[in-house]
Amino acid sequence: MSFLDVAGAEKSFGAAAVLGGVNLGVAKGEFVSLLGPSGCGKTTLLRIVAGLLGVDRGSVRLDGQDITALPPHKRDVGVVFQNYALFPHLTVAENVAFGLKARGRGAGETREAVSRFLDLVHLADFADRSVRALSGGQQQRVAVARALAVRPKLLLLDEPFSALDRKLRETMQIDLRRLLRELGTTSVFVTHDQDEALTMSDRIAVMNRGAIEQFDTPEAIYRRPATAFALEFVGLSSRLAGTVVGSQGDLVTVDTAFGRLVAPGRFIPDSRVLLAVRPERITVDAPGNYALTATLRDAVFQGSKVQLHFEAREADQILVETADLPQGVPAPGTEMRLGWAVADTLIYPAP
Amino acid sequence: MKAWRDPVALLAVPAVLYLLLLYALPLAWLLAKSFIGPDGLTLAPYLDFFSDPFNWRVISNTLLIALWVTLVCLLVGYPAAFALARAGAALQIAMLVAIILPLSVGVVVKAFAWQIVLRRDGVVSQFMMALGLWDEPQRLLFTETGLVLGAANIFLPFMILPIYSVVKLIDPRLLEAGATLGAAPVYRFARIMLPLTLPGIVSGVAFVFSMSVSMYVIPSLLIGDRFQTLSTLTGRSFLFMRNEQLGSTTAVVLLVLAVSVVVGSSWLARRLGSST
Repeated sequence: MSFLDVAGAEKSFGAAAVLGGVNLGVAKGEFVSLLGPSGCGKTTLLRIVAGLLGVDRGSVRLDGQDITALPPHKRDVGVVFQNYALFPHLTVAENVAFGLKARGRGAGETREAVSRFLDLVHLADFADRSVRALSGGQQQRVAVARALAVRPKLLLLDEPFSALDRKLRETMQIDLRRLLRELGTTSVFVTHDQDEALTMSDRIAVMNRGAIEQFDTPEAIYRRPATAFALEFVGLSSRLAGTVVGSQGDLVTVDTAFGRLVAPGRFIPDSRVLLAVRPERITVDAPGNYALTATLRDAVFQGSKVQLHFEAREADQILVETADLPQGVPAPGTEMRLGWAVADTLIYPAP
Repeated sequence: MKAWRDPVALLAVPAVLYLLLLYALPLAWLLAKSFIGPDGLTLAPYLDFFSDPFNWRVISNTLLIALWVTLVCLLVGYPAAFALARAGAALQIAMLVAIILPLSVGVVVKAFAWQIVLRRDGVVSQFMMALGLWDEPQRLLFTETGLVLGAANIFLPFMILPIYSVVKLIDPRLLEAGATLGAAPVYRFARIMLPLTLPGIVSGVAFVFSMSVSMYVIPSLLIGDRFQTLSTLTGRSFLFMRNEQLGSTTAVVLLVLAVSVVVGSSWLARRLGSST
C-alpha cells in the first residue's frame, strides 16, 4: 500500500460534481504533481487530503492510518498555500515557530528548529522582521519553512510559485525540490503549469474534469500521453483528425487531409481518430517511414530551435520543432517535406 | 513640522473651527466652573464631592453598569460580527440594515419600548414563565439587570460594526493554515483570531464604554431616580438643584473616569496583543 492512498474520492458542490471517484497513491519520499487546468478538481483533491474539505465518498489513508474523518490539526499534513497565508501579526521566526508551539514542543527544541529551517530557506537574517516587510519570494520561503518546521508526514503545495515572476520561479523550483529531497519529505504539488510539473516531479497526475487521466513519470507522460487531453495539456504536438480505413495486426491505416498515414494501434475500420506526433520527432526534408508535403505558414525563431507552423485545416495542426535547418529559416509559403517514424505516431479516439 | 505646510491639512480647518468654537470652548468654560470658588481657584467642590459616601456609590454605579453593558455587548457582538463578515452578500446587506436601521429610532422611543418588554407582564417575563424557568412573573423594569439589557441593545451596533470591519479584512485561510500546522480550534482562536481582531475589540469597547458610562436618558427611563449615575446626577444638579458647581464637578469626574478607562484599557489591550 502507498504512503498516501486516496481511494474513490468523490466530491460535489451542490449539483456540480468536482471529483468523481479519484484514486491516487503516493510513495514515501515521492514528489507528485497534480497537473490540470483550473476547475479540474486538483485544489479540491489537495484540500481533501489536508482535511480542509470532507469527501462525499471514498477514503484517505496516510502512513497506514485512515485519516478520512480526522480534522486537519490531527493529520500531520502541512500545506503551503497559494497566497502563503502568513500570520501578519507575527514575525518571520514566530510564523515558523507557530506549529511547534501549537504542538506543545519545548522552547529549546522550537528555537533550534526555527533557526534550522530559516537557515535552510536562507532567511536567517530576517528572523525578527515582520512578514509584511518581505518580498513575494521571501514570503513563499517563510511559508515553506513554517510548514516544514513541524516535520509533517506529508507536504501539500498549492501553486506556491504562481505569484512570482518567471526567473525567480525557476530558481525557487530547483531550490525547493532540492530541499524536499534532502529532507525526504513526501510532497503533493498542485499546478496548472506543465513546465513546473515536468521540472519538479517524480510522477505527474494529469487531471481533467474531476478525474486523473494519466499518472506516470514526466517522461512517460510526454512520450506516451494516455489520452488526447494529456497530449494537449502537456507539451506541444502536431495533430491530424482522420478515419481508420484498414488494420493489419498492431498497425492501422488512417485517412487524413494529408493522405493515408500508418500508426500503431487497434481500431475497427471507420473509427474517427486523432493522430499526433511531438514536434521535435518530425524531420524536415529527410527520409522517414513516410512523408507528407506541407506549406510553411510561419517560422518562429527561438534561439536553440526553430518552430515551424504549416498550413492545415482548422481541426488539424502541423507543428515542427527543429534545430537542423542547413539553409537557414525558410520563408513562409515554402513547400517542405516532413517525415516521422511510425513508432512515434500517437493515436487516440477522436475527442 | 511638515504637516503644517501640507495643504491637505487645510481640509480639517472647518471641522477644527466648528469643534473649537461651539464645543471645546463652552465645555472648557463649564468644566472650569468647578475649579472656581468665591475666592478664586479652589478644589473645595472636589473635596466635598469625594467626602460624601453617597457620591462614591454613584461612581461605582456608573462604572459597574458601563462595564456590564460593555461586557454584554462584547459577548453578543463579537460572534455577530463574524457572522456578518462571513455571510453571503444578500444576507450581509439584510444584517447590516437590521443593525444600522434601529440607530435612526430615537433612544427615548427605544427606552419606552424596553419598559414594555421588561415590566412584570412583559415579553421577558412571559417567555421565562413559558420555559418554566420562573415560577411567577417578575419585574425587570427599574432593576439593574433591566438597565443593562436595555442599554446593551441600544449600544450593540457600536460594538458589532468596528469588529466587523476588522474581521472582514482577515484572510480566512489564516485559520486553515493554523489548523494544518497542528493547532486545535481554541489555540487557533487565541493565537490568530483574537490578536488580529483586537483593534476592532478595542474600538468597539471604547465606543460602548464611553457611551454607556455617560448615558442619561436610558437610566432615567429604565431604572429611575432610585439609581443615580454620574450623568443623571449631573443632569439633576443643573436641571433641578440649580447647583452648577456640583454639576460641573460631577461632569469633570465623569470625563476623567471615562477617558482614563478607555485610554487605559486600549493601552493594556495593545500591550497584551503585541506580547502574544
